[in-house]
Amino acid sequence: MTLREYLSDRLNRLLLQIICAAAAAFFLRATGTQSGVLLILFLALLLVFTSVQLTDFFRQRARLAELTSILTGLDQKYLFAECLPPSRSLYERRLLNLTRQAGTAMTGAVSDAQAAQREYREYVERWVHEIKTPITAARLICRNLDGDTRRRLTYELGQIEAHVERALFYARAESPERDCIIRQTDLGAIVAQAIETHRTLLIQSNVRVETNGLDGSVYTDEKWAVFIVGQLLQNAARYRRDSPAVTISARSLGRQIQLTVADNGIGIPDHELPRVFNRGFTGSNGRARNQTGNSTGMGLYLCKKMAGFLDLGLNITSHEGVGTTITLTFPAKENLTKL
Amino acid sequence: MPKIVIVEDDPVIREELGLLLENEGYQVQSVTDFSDVPKQVQDAASDLILLDLGLPGRDGMSLCVNIRKNSRTPIIFVTSRDSAGDELRALSLGGDDYITKPYNIPVLLARIKAVLRRSGGPSEPDTLTARGLTLHLPHGTASAGGRSIELTRNELKILAHLMSHAGQIVSRADLIDVLWDHQIYIDDNTLSVNMTRLRAKLEEIGLPSFIKTRRGMGYQL
Repeated sequence: MTLREYLSDRLNRLLLQIICAAAAAFFLRATGTQSGVLLILFLALLLVFTSVQLTDFFRQRARLAELTSILTGLDQKYLFAECLPPSRSLYERRLLNLTRQAGTAMTGAVSDAQAAQREYREYVERWVHEIKTPITAARLICRNLDGDTRRRLTYELGQIEAHVERALFYARAESPERDCIIRQTDLGAIVAQAIETHRTLLIQSNVRVETNGLDGSVYTDEKWAVFIVGQLLQNAARYRRDSPAVTISARSLGRQIQLTVADNGIGIPDHELPRVFNRGFTGSNGRARNQTGNSTGMGLYLCKKMAGFLDLGLNITSHEGVGTTITLTFPAKENLTKL
Repeated sequence: MPKIVIVEDDPVIREELGLLLENEGYQVQSVTDFSDVPKQVQDAASDLILLDLGLPGRDGMSLCVNIRKNSRTPIIFVTSRDSAGDELRALSLGGDDYITKPYNIPVLLARIKAVLRRSGGPSEPDTLTARGLTLHLPHGTASAGGRSIELTRNELKILAHLMSHAGQIVSRADLIDVLWDHQIYIDDNTLSVNMTRLRAKLEEIGLPSFIKTRRGMGYQL
């Protein structure tokens, strides 16, 4: 708060006081008070008035600075009203009391929402685990069918699993600290698991998968990394052109290992590229590919979100009609400061 | 014939899994009463236990600890719980492997084989023989009539699968499936290329039409 702001806030009262002083001077002058006496009176009034206003200004400014520093120091800003020192001013006490009541209502609403979110997450996780039993049973029953029908049904089951998996990881990404276990993991194992999970989709899309240089190990959560690589493989299979191929390779950058997943698919238009990690963004490709199921716009969004938690670099380059390349940069040595 | 005990509460999975494993040549016993699993498992004297972690009323982890008290039989956990914490805990309690549902059937079978092999079960044969050709798996070579050829990894897997199903028609899709099981990720065109090379090599050792093409169906020895 500056002096100027303070004065303009009190402009009405200042004007009123000036008018009153002028009226008093006029009255005194009319009843025969000498102008010397008037001047002394005026100076005395000015002195008292100015010192009162200045004291008020500095006191208010100090109080505001104190409150601001309390707010800055708070982790949960909505608990502000609970942490205030008592005030001597009645008006301020009443005002803070109101704020406190509003804050209490807010705190209640926030903790209700958190509890509801936690319950929902737990429900989604339980649901995902339960749905896996009938899917497993269906897979086993499928085995009795003849070749072509079995393959088509297995493909559809694979699609169901992919959707279920995304729902699970969406719920997990809400509170990542509960699931992430960062440890040394073999990069080849991550890639092999991701390929294995999506094998039906990849085989039926006739994708050739090439892997090379995957013998390093990285520090990450294995399941999350498998999920992320799996999303990239699904995209490579869905947005393919003729004789599709996806190349998964790794190279060491000293303290980091860079994993590259490159496909020769239809690519992403330049103007859509900055938005592919947005939640629900499907793009012209996603909308055009009705025969492989509609795009959900969730895969890359989840990848980006989870990569953030795992401290992975996630970058995408793409050229329409040439293909898409995604690089994942893993920490190769444990980053102790981060943990 | 290795014996496998299935501890699984879902009746459909129990039954289908039992049939699957029997078809694969295992002897199977299923636990249907979950009141005293450790004793039943011990009485079964099996070579391997497939243990579901989500049994009614019992935690599969504590069950594993109880089984481990009296038995060294390998245990593979089969579960729909797939958090990294569950897996670490299960393996530290004496489980030999951990498979999450829904599993791919080839993966399940491969893991079972691997655990049985580690625990000293019967090992797979080193050589395969069919119609005058002998395949030496550890060396990656095939020989017939005193002449021998070297095979690449892909060719070896293709030939091994055809020879272990001698007489049957093997579809291209089945072959691709089998190769993917061994982390050879090929597409239809690559399979054709491998097949052509394999036939050329077989011709060198005097077996020009060893692999027959059954048009529209696949390959046959």
